[in-house]
Amino acid sequence: MSFIVRTVARTADGRDIVRPKSFDKAELSIGRSPSSDIHLPDLAVALNHAVIRTAAGGAVEIVATAGMPFLVDGKSTEHERFSASPGANIRIGSHSLSVEPGEGDEKGAVVITVERVGAISNASEEKEEARVFSLASVLPSRRIMAWAGVLLVLAIFLAWPLVSIHTQPTDNSRKVAFHADELWTSGKLSQVHRSLENNCQACHVKAGESVRDTACVACHTKVHDHADKAKLLEAKGSPGIVDGTKQFVGGIFGIQPGRCVECHTEHQGQTAMPVTDERFCTNCHEDMSKRIDTALKDAADFGEHHPQFEPTIRFAGPNGVPSFRRVSLDANPKEDNGLKFPHDLHLSTTNGVAQMAKTLGKAEGYGAPLDCANCHTRDATGSSFVAVKMEPACGACHSLAFDQVGGTIRTLRHGDPAQVVADIRAFYRAGAPRNPALQGMDRRRPGDFASAAQRASFAQTSAMHIGNADQAIRAVFSKGGACFDCHTVRATGNPTTPFAVTPVALSRRYMMKGWFDHAAHDTESCASCHAVKGSKLASDVNLPKLAKCQECHGGQDAHKEVPSACAMCHDYHRNDFAPLMVRDNRARGKAVEHIREKALKQAGTGI
Amino acid sequence: MASKSLRQATTGRERASEHEGFLRYQSYKWLKIALGISAVALLIYAFNDVQPKPNGGSIYGYTTGTIGVLLILWLTMLGVRKRAITPGRWSLKSWTSAHVYLGLSLIVIATLHTGFDFGWNVHTLAYALMMIVIASGVFGIATYAMLPQALSANRGETTQVQMLDNLRMIDRQLNEAAQPLDAEGAAIVRMALDDDPFGGGLIARLTGHYRKCGTRAALAAVRAHPGRKEAAADPYDHVEVLLERKRSSLSRIRKHLRLKALLEVWLYLHIPLTFALIAALFVHIVSVFYYW
Repeated sequence: MSFIVRTVARTADGRDIVRPKSFDKAELSIGRSPSSDIHLPDLAVALNHAVIRTAAGGAVEIVATAGMPFLVDGKSTEHERFSASPGANIRIGSHSLSVEPGEGDEKGAVVITVERVGAISNASEEKEEARVFSLASVLPSRRIMAWAGVLLVLAIFLAWPLVSIHTQPTDNSRKVAFHADELWTSGKLSQVHRSLENNCQACHVKAGESVRDTACVACHTKVHDHADKAKLLEAKGSPGIVDGTKQFVGGIFGIQPGRCVECHTEHQGQTAMPVTDERFCTNCHEDMSKRIDTALKDAADFGEHHPQFEPTIRFAGPNGVPSFRRVSLDANPKEDNGLKFPHDLHLSTTNGVAQMAKTLGKAEGYGAPLDCANCHTRDATGSSFVAVKMEPACGACHSLAFDQVGGTIRTLRHGDPAQVVADIRAFYRAGAPRNPALQGMDRRRPGDFASAAQRASFAQTSAMHIGNADQAIRAVFSKGGACFDCHTVRATGNPTTPFAVTPVALSRRYMMKGWFDHAAHDTESCASCHAVKGSKLASDVNLPKLAKCQECHGGQDAHKEVPSACAMCHDYHRNDFAPLMVRDNRARGKAVEHIREKALKQAGTGI
Repeated sequence: MASKSLRQATTGRERASEHEGFLRYQSYKWLKIALGISAVALLIYAFNDVQPKPNGGSIYGYTTGTIGVLLILWLTMLGVRKRAITPGRWSLKSWTSAHVYLGLSLIVIATLHTGFDFGWNVHTLAYALMMIVIASGVFGIATYAMLPQALSANRGETTQVQMLDNLRMIDRQLNEAAQPLDAEGAAIVRMALDDDPFGGGLIARLTGHYRKCGTRAALAAVRAHPGRKEAAADPYDHVEVLLERKRSSLSRIRKHLRLKALLEVWLYLHIPLTFALIAALFVHIVSVFYYW
């Protein structure tokens, strides 16, 4: 048997040149060595790579000689035996040796066709110039990247939140944890609503629906509307182009104007909830009287367009029935509180009152001319004052003592004329005057006595000038008597209680529609606002007028000492307590901080 | 001068220079327009008192947002427009000039739209994507301005095909020169031959550092080979020369590849991220009005 080796070479223009060579021997060497029978100029081939030989039974055998394998019909091996017919394909390095039985003249010989199938080097392989020289060969195409980006964004930021919204339970079984729709949040919630983070549906109740007031009042049960809703809308007047467009578009989304969130904007960051802006008030109130029928005066910027204060003033009607009416301070109103009390007299630093206070001394709580605090004391909130009570405020000087038994001074009962009459009658029935009883029934005057001890000794020595009970009673209730100088007394004609005293009703609060906090004004003296030193009558309404406040306070954006938005004094959801803005201490310094807790407790509502 | 006016007359274009690029097109007309828009936007922002704080939901916010989204959509139209080349007022050059400067004005418009209110959400995602797209565009312009000269200098007079052919020729010579070598020597040379001059991925392309360069490894191995003889007929000598030549040829190709990569890479951010941005904008608008 013989071999015919056909070596195929390819020309530059792609033609094949076949060079056949016959070998009349039974074994051929294969290798890179030029002396090999089958010479493969291929660096992947060993110098003496293998031998191929004929074997018995028309078989062909190929055996590796350098220990390097080759492929026979795609199978890696170092020794393979196969039939010459149909033959096999051997791959060594980049060369292909296809073994076939000879045909025709070559019958009986084994034909081996040798051909280089792989390129000499990587660079020699066919390359698409435009592609390999550009980034396209190392990156996915821009189109694929664009689609990938689009799909990724839509999947994470649209599909996921939507699925999350529509699969979450709407009741309380919903977990307060991260939900995918938080990817849509426009900012952190304010501090008060912080606990609602991770609980979007607490406010965003229905999918695709804006926040409704029902979500707010679910927690804020005690907040009431500012006014009738229809009237509110009317007061607002027709919206401009901008707001009109907003309302129109909102209408398409089913949004009614006047929602809570219009003023109470959320998702503005983890800060205190923003203070309500002045313009939310002035939108309506600036010229509201033009739009609706209202008793309210137009108001806008505090520094420029605020009406004069109108405190609620008490008037005594016929038969002493009181009535209350708001009167402008410009009208210098007088109130009927039933009392006779000249502030000027009591606040003088030189007169008898001042002397009396000095004489009473520090032990009694005086020791200097009277000042406001001797009678007026702060209430628990610090913002206002407790009602003046006669005994602690006036009693030190205006004594009601009339008798002494042992070491005990007997006093007439304040606030109870019948009891006074009865006590005096009893005093005389018991054989009075057994001892000189004080100084008759005259009102005790300042400087008469200074201490309890002196009062007692004075009582021992003073002479009683009044003969019987009726005379004494008349004296007490008449000019110069203990009751008369402070109270309005009228005769009843009834012999058992011949005199009656007009009840005293001091105003606890004048500004029912606004808030004033005395504690916040601790830096000022009383007299800097209240002109009481010249007040001769108890009926004087000694409230400061608007202009006095405007010395320090201006509008929200004013360059005044205290820029003051409406909400500093007025609450939109008004109650009897400090406006939210003041309670939350968001507009001013620390002075008002303590109010909050106390006021909330008194209000009985936390919300 | 005469030839210029003649050329102008024949083309009928009102251009002062034949070499006016898109950046200085019509004496920076679009730059001036973009600056004007930005200045107006800033002025309004400065004097617009939004309570409680500036945000995209104010009237001004809606306005800048609408302008921004329309502008972004128009900017993407450059991709459509550039495939149809026409002369005239809205020539591609004019369009490109407007694309660049109006695109830059988005930095102002969109930033004011945010009211500087950022967070981990889809809204800020859209903003961030937009800024990356703009930044990649700026990078692209910078490379277009600076790199072509370097590219041309590196390439000399050769074309890309010539560079590759040169490499192939060296490979053929290497293959032949290595024929007498034993298996070990052949393996060393094959490291150089099997090396893909275009392999190495994005990082290698951008930096020009090919850590697994077979040619460099082969050169080192040949130099360190213990079988080297002082005799004149050492086949390794020729192999070393050829390897050195291949390394030099490769380094020129790779510098070329690096410059080309820097010229192209911005588009691989600019285009895909633009589409991601449009998707994010879509979600931004949907989500804003979903719970409006």
